[in-house]
This record gives sequence, C-alpha cells and structure tokens, in this order.
Amino acid sequence: MTVNKINSAKDLVDFRRIIIEKKDPLEPIIAVNVSTCSVALGALKVLETLKKELEKSGIKEKIRIKEVGCAGLCEQGPMVIIYPDEVYYFRIKPEDVPEIISKTIKRKQIIERLLYQDPATGKRVSHLDEIPSYKHQLKLLTKNNGKIDPKKIEDYISVNGYTALSKALFEMQPEQIIEQIKTSNLRGRGGGGFPTGIKWETTRNAKDDPKYVIVNCDEGDPGAFMDRSLLEDNPHSILEGLIIGAYAIGAYEGYIYVREEYPIAAENVFIAITQAKDYGLLGKKIMGSNFNFDVKVQRGAGAFVSGESSALMTAIEGKIGEPRPKYVHTAVKGLWGKPTCLNNVKTWATIPLIIIKGGDWLKSIGTEGSSGTAIFSLVGKIKNTGLVEVPMGITLRNLIYKIGGGVKDDKKFKAVQTGGPSGGFIPEKYLDLQVDFDELDRVGSMMGSGGLVVIDEDNCMVDSARYFVDFLLEESCGKCIPCREGLRVLSKTLGNICEGKGEHDDIGTVEDIALTMENASLCALGTTATNPVLTSLKYFREEWDQHIKDKRCIAKACKSLTDYYIDPKECQACLICLRECPTKAIEGEKDQVHWINQEKCEKCGICYEVCKFDAVKKLSGEPIPSKPANGMKPIRKGVKQ
Amino acid sequence: MVKLSCHHCGHSWDYQGKTKYYATCPNCRYKVRIQPEKPPKPELTKRDLEPRKTLTKDKKLIGIAAIVNRVIERYQHDKSMLIQILLQLQNDFGWLPREMLTEVSKQLEIPLNRVYQIATFYKAFSLAPRGRHLIRVCMGTSCKVRGGDRILDQMRKKLGIEKGENTPDSRFTLETVNCLGCCALGPVITIDDEYYGNLKTADLEKILSKYS
Amino acid sequence: MKTLTLKIDGKEIEAEEDMTILEAAEKLGIQIPTLCHHKKLEPYGACRICSVEIETRGKSRIVAACCYPVKNDLNVTTRSPKIDKIRKTILELAAVTAGEDAMGEMRKLASEYNADLSHLRSKTPIEPTKCILCGLCVRRCIEATWDSVIGFIGRGTKRQITLYPEKASICTICDYCHDVCPTGKITSTGPDPPFPQIDDILAGRE
Repeated sequence: MTVNKINSAKDLVDFRRIIIEKKDPLEPIIAVNVSTCSVALGALKVLETLKKELEKSGIKEKIRIKEVGCAGLCEQGPMVIIYPDEVYYFRIKPEDVPEIISKTIKRKQIIERLLYQDPATGKRVSHLDEIPSYKHQLKLLTKNNGKIDPKKIEDYISVNGYTALSKALFEMQPEQIIEQIKTSNLRGRGGGGFPTGIKWETTRNAKDDPKYVIVNCDEGDPGAFMDRSLLEDNPHSILEGLIIGAYAIGAYEGYIYVREEYPIAAENVFIAITQAKDYGLLGKKIMGSNFNFDVKVQRGAGAFVSGESSALMTAIEGKIGEPRPKYVHTAVKGLWGKPTCLNNVKTWATIPLIIIKGGDWLKSIGTEGSSGTAIFSLVGKIKNTGLVEVPMGITLRNLIYKIGGGVKDDKKFKAVQTGGPSGGFIPEKYLDLQVDFDELDRVGSMMGSGGLVVIDEDNCMVDSARYFVDFLLEESCGKCIPCREGLRVLSKTLGNICEGKGEHDDIGTVEDIALTMENASLCALGTTATNPVLTSLKYFREEWDQHIKDKRCIAKACKSLTDYYIDPKECQACLICLRECPTKAIEGEKDQVHWINQEKCEKCGICYEVCKFDAVKKLSGEPIPSKPANGMKPIRKGVKQ
Repeated sequence: MVKLSCHHCGHSWDYQGKTKYYATCPNCRYKVRIQPEKPPKPELTKRDLEPRKTLTKDKKLIGIAAIVNRVIERYQHDKSMLIQILLQLQNDFGWLPREMLTEVSKQLEIPLNRVYQIATFYKAFSLAPRGRHLIRVCMGTSCKVRGGDRILDQMRKKLGIEKGENTPDSRFTLETVNCLGCCALGPVITIDDEYYGNLKTADLEKILSKYS
Repeated sequence: MKTLTLKIDGKEIEAEEDMTILEAAEKLGIQIPTLCHHKKLEPYGACRICSVEIETRGKSRIVAACCYPVKNDLNVTTRSPKIDKIRKTILELAAVTAGEDAMGEMRKLASEYNADLSHLRSKTPIEPTKCILCGLCVRRCIEATWDSVIGFIGRGTKRQITLYPEKASICTICDYCHDVCPTGKITSTGPDPPFPQIDDILAGRE
C-alpha cells in the first residue's frame, strides 16, 4: 500500500479529515487489550479464541478486531471493549468468548458477571467513566490509552496527533517554544524535578555541535511501570514531543533508550518510528520543512544504575554504564562531550499538550511549585492496583482511599513508599500531605519516577528497609568506596537485625555510614540509598528497638523471629497442612488435632496460606504454648465460609 | 635510532639498541620508556561510521568467527554499538562463550578487557551455557510485598537449584530480575517469553509441567 | 586561559580555568589526601577521600576535590569535624575488603585520621584482599599497553580485578603497577595475593 507523504500542515489536516470520514461511529468493533499486564493474565489466548470463534459463527466480516493498550485497571485484565455501545468487560477467560459473541455482539445483551464490580459497593458499571476511581483522575497523558491501536499511526492522527508538531514547525520559533515550556513550569518527571525549560535553554545556548536529545525509558524503579505503559500504548505522543524538542534545541539526532525487560514497548516504538518515517513525519525534511531529525532505539542490558542520566550516556557510547561526576552539567557536556538534553518519557509526552494549549494552561493545573499531572503506579497492598493520573496537589489519603479503594483485605495501613529505592516511607500521620515534588522532599522521601507502594500491618519495616538495601547492593556499579562498601555493611547489619542477632550499637553504625554515603558518594544512587533506612528509623523506631532488644517482630514477617503454631481450639484436623508441609513437620491424624514440630519447621508459611479455618497462628517474641494432650480431638464447628 | 631522555637524572642520548619498550639510562641505570607516554587513545570522540573491510578477506571465516562477523557487519563495525552487538549475539546464540568475546575484541578492534568489563557488568549477558528454558522471577517491590520471595523459595526447592544455576538435566535455568514492569499483578514470573501473573505457590507445579 | 579567584581555607588564590580544586590547593601548598589519584592519569573519583566542603551563593555541599573544576567566588574548606568524620568512615569502609593490614598510603592516612580499620570489618567478616579497587594499576596498565593485562570485571560488590592469561605475555614487568598501588598489595614481585585469572572466575560462577 503506497503512502502519501505529508508535506505541509495542510496535508496533515486533509489526511486527518480523510481518516475521520472513513470511520463509521456505528461500526461494530471489538477491542482487546494486549499490553504486557494483560498478556501476563492470558490476553493472547483470548484474542486467538476470539478470532477462531468469530470465524466459526460466520460474522467475521461484520465486526473488526482491534488491538489496543491498557486503560489503567491492570488487575482486572484481560479487558475487551465492544463498540459502538462502548461496553467494558473485564477478567475475560477464553471460555467466555462464545457467550460474548452470541449475547453482546449479536443481540446487544450485556453479560452482568463480566462487568466491572466496585469493590466498595458491589455495584456493576458498564462504562469506565462511572467507575469511582476514574472519576477522580485527570487524564491528560493517558487519555488515549486503551482507545487507539499503538501500531497504527492513523489512529493517533485521528485523535489530533501531530497537530502540535505542525504548529511548532510552521507557526513558532525555537525560542518561543522554549519560552512556553518555561512558562508552564514543567519539572522533569524522571525524579529529579529539574525545570525542563531551563534544561532546554542551557542545551540550546551551549556553543558546540552536534546536539543530542535522549528519551530515558530505563525505568529501573521496582514498582513503577508508567513509562512502559506510555511507550507501549501511545508511542507516537513521545515521538512527537521529541521532534518538537529537537527542533527547539537544534538537535538532529536522537536516541530512545529502552531497557531490556520491556520487549513489547521496544517493538511498538520501533514500529512507530518506521511508520512516522513512511509518512514524512520523521527523517529528512519533516512535513516539508527544512528540519531533519532521526531517531535510533537502543536497548539496555539489565542495569538499574544506567538509568541515571550520565550513566545512560556512557552506556549509549558503548562503555559500561558507570555514572560520571556531574560537576559539569550534561546539558553542556554530555554524549561524546557534546550538549545533550535527556528527559523522561512522561516529560516528552507532555510537550505536545503544552504546545497546543499553551504554557499557562499547564501552570493552572497542580500546585505552585509543581504544575501539571503526575502518573502514579498504585501497587502493593491496595485494592485497585494500576496506573492513575492525578493533578499535583492531591492528598495521599485521597489517592489511597478514594482512588485506590483502601488497603487490601481491609487490613491496617502502615506506610506508603514513594520514589522507588531512592525514596522513603511515609507513615499515617502524613496522609494529608499534598503530593508534589517539594512536599515529599520535606518529609524525607522523594517523588522519584512515581511508584507508590502501600504497606500494611503484615509487613515489617526493618525487612522492607533491608529489601531496598539489598536491591541497591546488587545494582550499585561499585566504583566508589562509600556506596559499595557502605551498602555491604548495611546489608549485613540489617540482615543480622532481622535474624535476631542485632547489637546495641548497630543503629549508631547505620547512622554513621548514612552520613558518609549521603555526602561523599559519586552519584545519586549512593546519596539517596539511605533514604529508606533513615525514614524507616525515624518514623518506626519502636520496631527497630523491638528487633534488637526484644528479638521480636510485631509484623511477624521476619522468618527467624516468627514461630508457627496451630491453635488446638480451632484446628479441624483436615490433614491439608500435613500434606502440604514440605518438611513433614506437622504431626497429626484424621481425627486428631495437628501439631507443628518446631525442630523440623522451616517457617515457609505454606500451612498458614492453605488453612481454611484460620487455625495456624504466627507468634513472635512470645513463648509457644505447650503441646496438647496426645490424641486430643478437634472441637467441631459448623462449616465456615 | 631514537633520541631518549632520562626522567630520573636528566641525561639525554641517542639509543641504538633493539628493545621495543624500555632502554637503560647509561648514567643512572634507570629504565626509560622508548615509546611516547600516551599511546593514541582507542576511544574515538566522533564515531567512525565508514564501513570497514572485514579483517580476513581471503580467509573464509567459519564457526564462531562467522557468527560474530555477520552481526558486526549488520552494525557496520560501529564500536559504540558494542552493547547492542553483544545483546544480538546473546539472543541468537544463547550465551557468550570465551571464543566469541575474543573474536568480538579482534574484529571490532576493542581491547579485550573492555569487552569483558561490559559482558560481566550487565545482567542480561550470560557467560555460561543456559538450560533450554529460562525462568525469571521478578523481585520488584510490589512482587515482594505480595509474596514474591515465597515463589522464589518454592522454585528453588522444586528444581533443586540456586539462583543463577541450571538444573542437572539442562531443562531450566533460574534467574531473578529486578522488576518486569507488571507490578499490579505481583508476584510475576516469565518462562522464555511467556508471562505468568497473580501467582500462588500451588500454580507452580502446573506451569512447570508445560515445559519439557 | 581565563584566571579565576577562589578561597581555599581562607587564603585567596588565582587559578586557571581548567584546574581542579586539588591542583589549585597544591599550588597553595595545602595537601588534600588522595588514594586513587595520580597526576599523570585522568581524575577517576573512586575513593572519595579527597572530599572537601564548598560553599557558593549561600549553598554548601561536599564534592570530590580531584574532579571539581574551579569556579569564581568559590569558598573551599579542606578540614573540619564533618569532613574528618567522613574521611575516617571512608577509610574504615575501605578496610572491609582490604583488611586491617594494609600498608602504604592507606596506613598513613589511617593513623592521621584515627581510623580503626577493624571496626567495621568485625561486623562484615570477609576474606581480605588488600585491594580497595582504586583502579590505579588498571588505568596505568591500559595507558601503557592499550590492550592491558589486567582489567575490572563485575559490578557492585562482585567487582574485582582479573588477569587475562593471553595478554600476560605482553607484560613488560615495567613496575608501573607496583609504583602506584596505595595499599601495598602489588609488591616488587607482583600482586600478593595474586589477581585471579579470568577463566577461574568464570568457572567459579557456574
């Protein structure tokens, strides 16, 4: 199929008109979500079954199958949307497909059990806008996720795509573009929060050639997947922002650095680049203007530290991804010593919106210090996990309870961790904090990439701090002494505390090492590595003291400090835990109360997981009650739910 | 014949001997370097994009040298694409044997220590043969908070191997990975390219039995 | 070359634009301790012992003197209780891998800053290697031979120096690595304990 190159602003408008005219708003379409999360829950099988069943029922020509991205409710996948009535079905299994075809597609009947069910009220809703967690969001960047096919540029153009590029190239000068970005007060969404307009201006004013622009999609933060979602579901928005940025700065070459763990995102962005080139929106003489710009995709190879901006540039140069001391900004001396502007995926995706609606519009959203929206990934022990886009300034309480639906299984909230391994824990007393860059810094945490992990009463604070130290220990590059050796000693010390071997001067050692690491480390990984440990110490000191002095873990999460015990009054002698126990540590028979032999018990927790009668209890710091008399019969109760 | 000057005593003389790197100062007997202090730096400040002729145009390359050459040709002998070249080789071949790294160093004209430094720095590269199926258990924050270490423990017990090892029958290799990006469905594992989310320990047996 | 004025420990000095704080301080006669620095090699910034406190436009932070370029109106402090504490902890941290009986420059600095080299080591007992991974020997060897005999491999705590047996034949026993080692690991007869060979390390990983 030959494509007509778009050679002017008018060509784009005409092309868009043709696409919209060809679209029939009453055309029956079934859209299947095939982003990574849905694939993990079996979406590809659903798609395959759908194709087969449509063929079998003979209506293959009457309805079009579309593959779309994710609408944000990750745990409810796989999801399908049926047009033209726009009915959303969730948790689809391949067995449901014939019913969907016969009822909803052929006879327009809604299947109740596949609709979204609000966990709080139990009500079923058929349209996304009625879902409570959606109502409180402000979707700017993720507006089109789930509606367009990321592998078709026509879909993006039909929703006003590339209008911003056309406006920037033909109606604005580079200085005007930078002025708009500065007015909007957009701050880097990669975590540093550096004003984007100033970075662009510094790069533009640096007196060296050639200049480069880079998209940083090395989202190494565990618990964050916003960049993956944006790049997978709407890669053209980032491309558009990148081309506008390159035009404003005066760069002719760009790189998109995608990490190795995101194969679908890399494939989608590669397809997007090829299609944009075919239509003349990328490459030489973009849209018929005098501006040339080319982009290459580079893959990461499994190192969290190469997400740091100077380390990323070193990795693109083909060397090991070790950070460099940033005493001379990378905007002046970056890739191959030339001025380079590196920004996060979300920052680039915001640029087209600013160009179309103006810098003042973005400034009106959010708070004084941080304008615009923030995309958070709500994960951990929360009911509605997924991606949410909210204006800056929303309180943590609203985020977790109104949008997130509250803590999973209605347990007690303990802390929320923001910013990945460089951020800190925020306890309950700060839940009314207005989320933005400066407020989070004030309480000792940071915004980071936007991951928000909720922790409940079953998680131990010392263990959680140890998790982050161990993560950074594995990911540190090992060049400078404070970070490498400091993390080694911290990991051993925290491990000892969790195993009950803590000593009274451990907290002093931790604080000394934290002071050195914070001040003397080479890069931001080392200087922020102690944030989780220090906030955990500051806000949950009692748990640390209990671990060290009383050898007790009140969350009962540390294996060495927890004992498992079967309550003879609750046990129903069903033999399930006996069979599942991997070390055969449980004694008992069909009509005899079970008992755990503490010598053989490995504290794996399987019996706790499988017991249907809540008879297995966890104890910490308390003596285990003595064994009941041999042959004690269970106290039979009625059938429990 | 080359003019030398001793940095220790300051004596200068014309050296006529045959040794390549060092001469002995006739005045104070100190060793003096013959070559200039700084050899030409191998790192280029601008990328050399001219397609290079292959090193062995007469000899036919076979085996590992041919595999390496094919990939290097595709990237036009660009030294800065070393990581991408190694990723491609890892994908095609399964692992990076010693001979392959030596060939890459020879054909791309990069010092051997740099090739090894890169191959051991990044976690995606494996310098030992892998099993037929690669299991990666996600150890991200969300997956851990939702029970990821129990999944890893169960995997270790069922397969009888530790992290980074192969099963004795070369069926599986067990690795951990730091965040696959499916955080909302923790705990998550991938086997080859298939993702499995919302796992419970009871599902593992069924999933493992699908792979021979 | 532009000349700039800055203050180090209260004394004013004029320095050229491309000098680092370490070089400017040397001109004044102030010695800032270093472990991974050599005047003939590019600054590396790995040991962080040369950390000094700088103050400019009301904000103060701690930077490495060997890498930070001089700027106008900079106020540098090279000794203070905070900097001394940081340097002492860095030496104790370095001793975790290197061991208590490090010689050379490190032993000299340890006695100057009253560092107890066995304090943190007792919490993390591992086999001492006498190496602080400052990289001086590797950088010197690369500079001398381009395709060097020794090199870094691994990342984080698994980072170590290894020997490439096929390149050992070009080792000209120039003694440069012995000259620069700050802990005395490399003696006149070679490294002690010796650097592991690359094949042994890879096999040990299997």
